Amino acid sequence: MTVSLVATDYSRPLQPIFEQEPRAGTIHSVFHKAVNITLDDTILALLSDELPRMPNSVRLPSIGAGDLLPQLRPGMEVWIGDGRLLIPTRSFLLHLPERPAWEPRPEISAHLWRREIVARHVRLLALYLADQAQQGGLALLIRPLLLERPAPDSPLSRMALPKLRMIAQASWRQDITGIEDATRGLAGLGPGLTPSGDDALGGFISIMMLLSPQLSADGASRVYIANTIAATARPRTTALSAVLLAHAACGEVAEQLGTLLLTLTLPAEAPEAVLNAADHVLAFGASSGGDTLLGILLGLRTLEGELN
Amino acid sequence: MVIRALLKRNTYYDSITLMSVAQAAKDLPGVEDIGAVMATEVNLELLLNANLMPTAFLAEQQTSPGPEDLLIVARAIDESLAEAALAVAEERLSSRAERGAPSSTETLPVRSLEMALKRDEAANLAVISVAGEHAWLEAEQALRHGLHVFLFSDNVPVEQEQRLKILAANKGLLLMGPDCGTAIINGIGLGFSNVVSRGSIGIVGASGTGMQQLICLIAATGMGVSQAIGTGGRDLSEAIGGVMMRRGLELLANDEQTEVIVLVSKPPAERVAHEILAAAQITKPVVVVFLGTAAERFASEAGNAHMARTLTEGAELAVSLAGGDRTRVPGKDTLNKYDLEAERAKLEITRVASKAPQQFIRALYSGGTLCDEAMLLLSEQVGAIASNIPLRPEWTLTPGETFRGHTALDLGSDEFTRGRPHPMIDPTLRLQYLARAAEDPETAVILMDIVLGFCAQQNPAAVYAPAIVQAREKARDAGRSLPVIISLCGTEGDPQRLSMQRTALEAAGALVYESNEVAARAAALLVSDAIHQAEEVHHD
Repeated sequence: MTVSLVATDYSRPLQPIFEQEPRAGTIHSVFHKAVNITLDDTILALLSDELPRMPNSVRLPSIGAGDLLPQLRPGMEVWIGDGRLLIPTRSFLLHLPERPAWEPRPEISAHLWRREIVARHVRLLALYLADQAQQGGLALLIRPLLLERPAPDSPLSRMALPKLRMIAQASWRQDITGIEDATRGLAGLGPGLTPSGDDALGGFISIMMLLSPQLSADGASRVYIANTIAATARPRTTALSAVLLAHAACGEVAEQLGTLLLTLTLPAEAPEAVLNAADHVLAFGASSGGDTLLGILLGLRTLEGELN
Repeated sequence: MVIRALLKRNTYYDSITLMSVAQAAKDLPGVEDIGAVMATEVNLELLLNANLMPTAFLAEQQTSPGPEDLLIVARAIDESLAEAALAVAEERLSSRAERGAPSSTETLPVRSLEMALKRDEAANLAVISVAGEHAWLEAEQALRHGLHVFLFSDNVPVEQEQRLKILAANKGLLLMGPDCGTAIINGIGLGFSNVVSRGSIGIVGASGTGMQQLICLIAATGMGVSQAIGTGGRDLSEAIGGVMMRRGLELLANDEQTEVIVLVSKPPAERVAHEILAAAQITKPVVVVFLGTAAERFASEAGNAHMARTLTEGAELAVSLAGGDRTRVPGKDTLNKYDLEAERAKLEITRVASKAPQQFIRALYSGGTLCDEAMLLLSEQVGAIASNIPLRPEWTLTPGETFRGHTALDLGSDEFTRGRPHPMIDPTLRLQYLARAAEDPETAVILMDIVLGFCAQQNPAAVYAPAIVQAREKARDAGRSLPVIISLCGTEGDPQRLSMQRTALEAAGALVYESNEVAARAAALLVSDAIHQAEEVHHD
């Protein structure tokens, strides 16, 4: 008997994939509450709705996810199209809901952006991140990058730190060669299925794409830098990372990241909402959240034009 | 030095899994380092820089590994140990994959309460550990099926807890939790638990590590525990009203094997404390440990109950009332004055010589109740203790602050454990704080707890002993003496073995105490003198 469920929600960029004729994909990787599915040149994430929305996600009710996901294996066939997702070997059918898709691009233009307020939030978040002691990733490089404090010494930080400095400086100067060089040193660097370097790049890209028109101190948009970074990183990292970087280059980010960006418009005198949103970003993965926040803060500081 | 590697093509694990697997392999003796990364070009460079490059192994591969391949590398002092490390890593990864991926020929895993009850109709207790927002639903179902519940999950709203506990009480059942860290029911440990023989002392506790400390101190005297019933940390709050502590007390009062009952909690709500004390007026002796609460405060209501102010005092009273020898509880007598004097002298000498401002205690706890107890005792001796779980609002650490004067951190609290394992399981975070405390010239003493038992880290001394040596050496190179005090909570029967852990930690130069109270008092003694000395230098 086929088990049929209605998805909790789905991300807008997936709409065309679901609207076309059904096509076969395969299960790429299976986790406790998430399954990645390869289809053509992209990867979709089938998530339990206990997890936050991703730009490439379809979420299903947690009770259904708890039953289904443990039965799935890498390599299993999945059919997607006609508004449905079918896993034949498990007789499982997922329909998209009637309501509109979730929009992963935050509504930047609906808010008033003030450089001095954002700068104060950046300073606060840098201090907050510096004290988080994230495991294994790059987050603590916030100390030398933004706070002029010593860097933790490890082979990973020794490789990443000069490249992070380089990407900030090259992005400010709009030096494409420098941006590509720094990206090649960061893409695929570090532990995890989305390596730390990619998470930091993802945060940085999202700032260049979404906020450089509003916040660049010299008034120049740096939107094109996002595409340069994503394209340079693509052949040098995991397929999942490359897909998420491509989404970031379109301004499409995870739910908790979009929420954090919008809190940067709130008054600097009441930082609780900003820190609370940062907590949700930090909670993502073992080190991914801290790495992403590092990239965001580096991107925002780059736009201030003071890192040169 | 030998490097060996393992390549798993098109294989994906989340980073928490990989870190945990790498840590398990790294804990093996003779293993120097482990790398577990996707084989991207820069990660190969990273392995090279970390002295983990498996050059010969990569040369043997017909196809070069790429970004979709997982590469695990071990560096060890000899080949067999490197191979053993990889075997451990692979076994761990395989067992995780199997746990998440039963084949069609295996018995289907139990996925619901109904399935579990069909498998074993005699079951009368459900252990629930699901996401907090859904936990109440599972707990309610279990209670409605007539099962006692051990609810390990946290983040259950207090309104749900209230409702569930009333339901449990009406049905004559126990709801242990939410956020219940430990229990021992009919000799079977649940959650974080220590190995102790069955005996005549029963415990009801609204405090996980508080109960573990009591159990371990009792075990040290050769006595045993009949039952240890957890209630969840909020049970004695105004909102919950001590429903489960009263139910646990009632069960132990009627339990033939239990001769002495110990009730333990952080400071309770005033009204609830009075109700608990009223319920404790039974024929069996009852010891009440309301941490940090002076016995005089409840003198008029205590009646037959024996009031204790600390966990150690509670254990001594319970052992004595159960006919045991209270002097065998490793309490104040274990305060080795010779060692303490030696550490104090070294601290004074180096501090005066270097004019370093060493004057503050830095306590790095994994157990919330142990941290609370230490803060209560320390604050009486040295004043304000900054913390993430402060005794007073004005002692709260602000964002961005790691330490401020005397500081005690509960590294097991939510803000530190989000996205990573608890420090009783994974030492990484606490090692970072240990290093930071050691680097701070204002740090006079480092105080830490190490909790042994099931579910806790396999061999904490193997990790902390080298870190303590390194911290003390670095301080010495900077002209400072740095005493490290360990509150070691465990039993000889625990998988980690108390004596082995103690020996290794003492060999690293730590002062080790089984009583958290004594550990805190030792820290206060050292630092009190440092303050005294600092004043003298200032006057000079």
